[in-house]
Amino acid sequence: MIFDVSHVTRYRYGAPVAANAGVLRLLPRTGDGQSVAHAQVEVRPQPASLVERADAFGNRTLHMRIETPHSELVVTSTSRVRVERAAPPMPALTPPWEDVAAQAAASSLLAAQSPAMAIYPSRLVEIFEPATRYALQSFGGRRPIYEAASELNARMKADFAYDAKATEVTTTPAAAFAKRRGVCQDFAHVMIAALRGIGLPALYVSGYIRTVPPPGKARLAGSDASHAWVSLWCGAGFEWLGLDPTNAIPEGDDHVVVARGRDYADASPMEGVILSSGGHELEVEVDVAPVLAR
Amino acid sequence: MSASAQFAPSRDALAAERVAGWTGEYAPLPGIPDEFLGADGRRRPHWDRLLGALAGLDAQEVEQRFAAADRRIRSRGMAYRVPGEAAERVWPLGRMPLLIPEAEWRDIARGVAQRAELLERVLADVYGEGSLIAEGALPAAALAGSPDFLPGMRGVAPPGKRWLRLYAADIGRGPDGRWWVLGDRAQAPSGSGYALENRLVVSQAFPDIYREMNVERLAPFFRELRAGLKSSGERAEPRIGILTPGPLSPTYFEQAYLARYLGLLLVEGDDLTMREGRVFVRTIAGLKRADVLWRHVDADWCDPLELNPNSRIGVPGLFDAIRAGGVAIENMPGAGLVESRALLAFLPKLARRLLGEDLIMPNIATWWCGQPQERERVLGALDSICVAGAFRDRLPGFGERRGAAPSELAPAERARLVDAIARRGVDYVGQDVARFSTTPRWVDGKLAPRPFILRVFAAATPDGWRVMPGGFCRIADKADARVVSMGEGVESADVWVLSDRPVEAASLLPAPQDVRIVRLLGNLPSRAADNLFWFGRYLERAEATLRLIRCLCARAVDPDAPMSGARQSIEGLKAMLVSWGAIKPEASARTSAQVGGAALRDPENYGSAFCIARSAHGAASIIRERLTQQSWQLVGRLESCLTEAPGRAMGEPEIIDRADEALTVIAALSGLFDENFNRGAGWIFYEVGRRAERAVATCRLARHFAREDATAHNLDVMLDLIDSQITYRSRYLTGVALAPVRDMALLDPFNPRSVAFQVNLIDDSIAGLPVLRQDGIVEEPRRLSTQLRAELATQSAKKIRDAEILAVEQRLTALAEAIAARYFLQGAHHARAEKVAGLG
Repeated sequence: MIFDVSHVTRYRYGAPVAANAGVLRLLPRTGDGQSVAHAQVEVRPQPASLVERADAFGNRTLHMRIETPHSELVVTSTSRVRVERAAPPMPALTPPWEDVAAQAAASSLLAAQSPAMAIYPSRLVEIFEPATRYALQSFGGRRPIYEAASELNARMKADFAYDAKATEVTTTPAAAFAKRRGVCQDFAHVMIAALRGIGLPALYVSGYIRTVPPPGKARLAGSDASHAWVSLWCGAGFEWLGLDPTNAIPEGDDHVVVARGRDYADASPMEGVILSSGGHELEVEVDVAPVLAR
Repeated sequence: MSASAQFAPSRDALAAERVAGWTGEYAPLPGIPDEFLGADGRRRPHWDRLLGALAGLDAQEVEQRFAAADRRIRSRGMAYRVPGEAAERVWPLGRMPLLIPEAEWRDIARGVAQRAELLERVLADVYGEGSLIAEGALPAAALAGSPDFLPGMRGVAPPGKRWLRLYAADIGRGPDGRWWVLGDRAQAPSGSGYALENRLVVSQAFPDIYREMNVERLAPFFRELRAGLKSSGERAEPRIGILTPGPLSPTYFEQAYLARYLGLLLVEGDDLTMREGRVFVRTIAGLKRADVLWRHVDADWCDPLELNPNSRIGVPGLFDAIRAGGVAIENMPGAGLVESRALLAFLPKLARRLLGEDLIMPNIATWWCGQPQERERVLGALDSICVAGAFRDRLPGFGERRGAAPSELAPAERARLVDAIARRGVDYVGQDVARFSTTPRWVDGKLAPRPFILRVFAAATPDGWRVMPGGFCRIADKADARVVSMGEGVESADVWVLSDRPVEAASLLPAPQDVRIVRLLGNLPSRAADNLFWFGRYLERAEATLRLIRCLCARAVDPDAPMSGARQSIEGLKAMLVSWGAIKPEASARTSAQVGGAALRDPENYGSAFCIARSAHGAASIIRERLTQQSWQLVGRLESCLTEAPGRAMGEPEIIDRADEALTVIAALSGLFDENFNRGAGWIFYEVGRRAERAVATCRLARHFAREDATAHNLDVMLDLIDSQITYRSRYLTGVALAPVRDMALLDPFNPRSVAFQVNLIDDSIAGLPVLRQDGIVEEPRRLSTQLRAELATQSAKKIRDAEILAVEQRLTALAEAIAARYFLQGAHHARAEKVAGLG
């Protein structure tokens, strides 16, 4: 699939902002069955500096600094991405999960793709006993990892309700787990906590998913959303495989990966520090439009 | 020799008797080495020397000197904070130093220096080429679990050329008599400043004994540490700051003390800003480059853009500046990684690999359960070892618990621990049980053996690692303590490294030829200016409020009070206290004593004298390194003399006494400032703050008590409040009249209480401040002050209208705002961009 993605973020500030410093993760990644034909980010007002740098997880980050007073900040990211992912492996062929955990603990890799980075609690994802027990229901002794993980992925969708009002950005995975409800970020965080609880390396993926309109309805531009799911390391030879617990599907050709990290804090699309005394309003518009092959 | 003296015991015999009294019941714990008594039960000779010297003083004198030391601790304001507590605690300094002979110390120093070098190389490799991990000497997971492994620092060359500037090892003596390393401190090791303070207090209490014992000096170490920090700067004379989390940090006292002792700038995150890859201090003269920052803020809080987004104490963009090489941060963020217990398991092998040597000082035997064999070994030896978190203080999965001896756990808990280790071994280490040796602590007039930990510091200097001869020692209060932290009951002790030869006196003073004459230290940080200004305002506000209270109570007990004019002015004083927030509006109907009591000390009323004194204390605590000990003490005294007021209701005379006492403290503070505070920019802000506050308050008082229709009683109150009765009586033989009172309060440039006097001083003071541009155009604050000055000089007391007094008051407020806008931190209180919501 080829997609044209646009992602517009608009802040309106209650009082003029004197200075604004931020980090943007809005340029999609290349690799793992995904190639980026072009991608660009436009910031209004004009930043004093906008520097691209790869972060520790191989994400393309933009470090932005605005030094002119402004009451509105508009960040527009547009890209064309081709997605052709390999089919998921035969579950039975993947190694027993205990072996994967042992391989991760013994890894001699400290680079972005190291599983050793992904087994520990992180800023937003603590390991908690109920999630660990939840995982263990699927991870019986010596079960192939992808088989067990796919089952966990499906149970998440079955046991948890999608509810945008139940949680906030700051809700902990333990709280979302107790409520059994939340948005994609909560689904991803809970599943990561569950997998790490049994020693498996799991990362957070932020990006987009194409939404398919109901039969007979037209696709509405701007109604898509940014999305989040999970990437699980399945041992040498299988590496990182994506699982989307919100939809109970593997990462596929409808997913566009923007950033990966230990949790939302590593992969959030945009964060920053502003100098201002007033509050602000926020508006986000995302559009993932399939490009018809000519 | 007189006849009676023949029968008195000799001096030596008396001393021996007293030593026996102190040590007769001293019994080391079974199987645990002791610093005072050797394994053979005999006293160590250096302890004999110390006790002998102490016994040579007479009993009373020993007590007096201990008491003098206690007083010095209080008067120096030595304190620490227990996280979660609002008030600082007085520093607990034990009476007995820890003694270590030089020969033994040499081994300790070699061991610590070797370890510092080893950890430096580990850090350089881990964040650099990564060969230790790639070649399997260190599993990646043994690092990645540390919250201080910062992936974003990989591949970054430290601008100061090294990861560690100051390293500390916590050591203890093991059952075999050797010293062992129990833990490493590399994030921002604390305690070096406390060690210095301890030394100052003890050496001043017992100067002769200190000299006779040949104690190694600490000053040379700090001189070399400063040289090390300086060598990290790009420029020949780098600007070096201590980056502090602020007054709420548990060890703020130490940070402020080190800044003063080493002559470094004490800065908080808000003081700094990152521009184009460099870091600058916001000063009243604009942005000035900061070259080197000695970091006392945990790495996670240093840069909200890069790490913890909730941090309000960091500098956004600091890590980008590090990557650009524009600022040296010491220790480098990420250095805290080597504090992990997991690493202890690998260091003996890493020492051989990286240094080609064995560890001179072993660390406590540790097994990281992330490795299958080590995990099995720990699980098989649970009854003889301790289990602790591999990377964190707490034992994962066990709440607040710091570590566990599985042999002491209930069966269910023990099973849970075994399960957790089997499932996530990476989070745990097994360690030999650490048993600390004991040293004498003074308990109820005798010596008793107590366990201790010694923290030893090593600084990277241009001439290699230097180890502080001494250290920071903590002594437990219970005989069986296994964990000693600086909590309840623990004492710190000075550490004396005893040389075999007389020690050269040393201080931090540089050689005479190196000294450049400097009269004013420019570039006052904006935050310091802000707090000095507000300190001045609060002090003045406290004074004005206290005068109101005193005037109210004095008039209430005056026999003329029932007269209607007098009663009216009493009501006026109460109304004024209401409008200043000193009492609640509904309280103004109460008696004068009730109103005065509430205005004096009610913590609920933001304008009560107590609350203002507390605010003054708060502002002073941020500029503490700029105040003399005596001033700081008086600031505390101002607050405490108001809180010490009795719990019962007070009568008017008692309230007057309290208010007078507080006014005396303020007068003493003002005097100290006048006589001792260097007339630099810092002084100007304090002065302008006081003057602005006094001018505004005087306008407000005049608008009430010297209105156009003011009664004689009210005018009399006005003279009281501006402390001008005597001058008035000597100038005007007739009774009080409106125009002369107004002239004294508002326009008289010779009356130090008048508004004109304040404005003239403000105008003169601002003229001494730096300007941003040399274009000859007057900056806003000066423009306003000069204008106001001219108007007051040409105004006449007989013509001035009430509305004009209000206008003067408003312009004074505008002047204060212009000063804030020009010189202080603007909008540095970060509002955070909200996280993007609306995720799918």
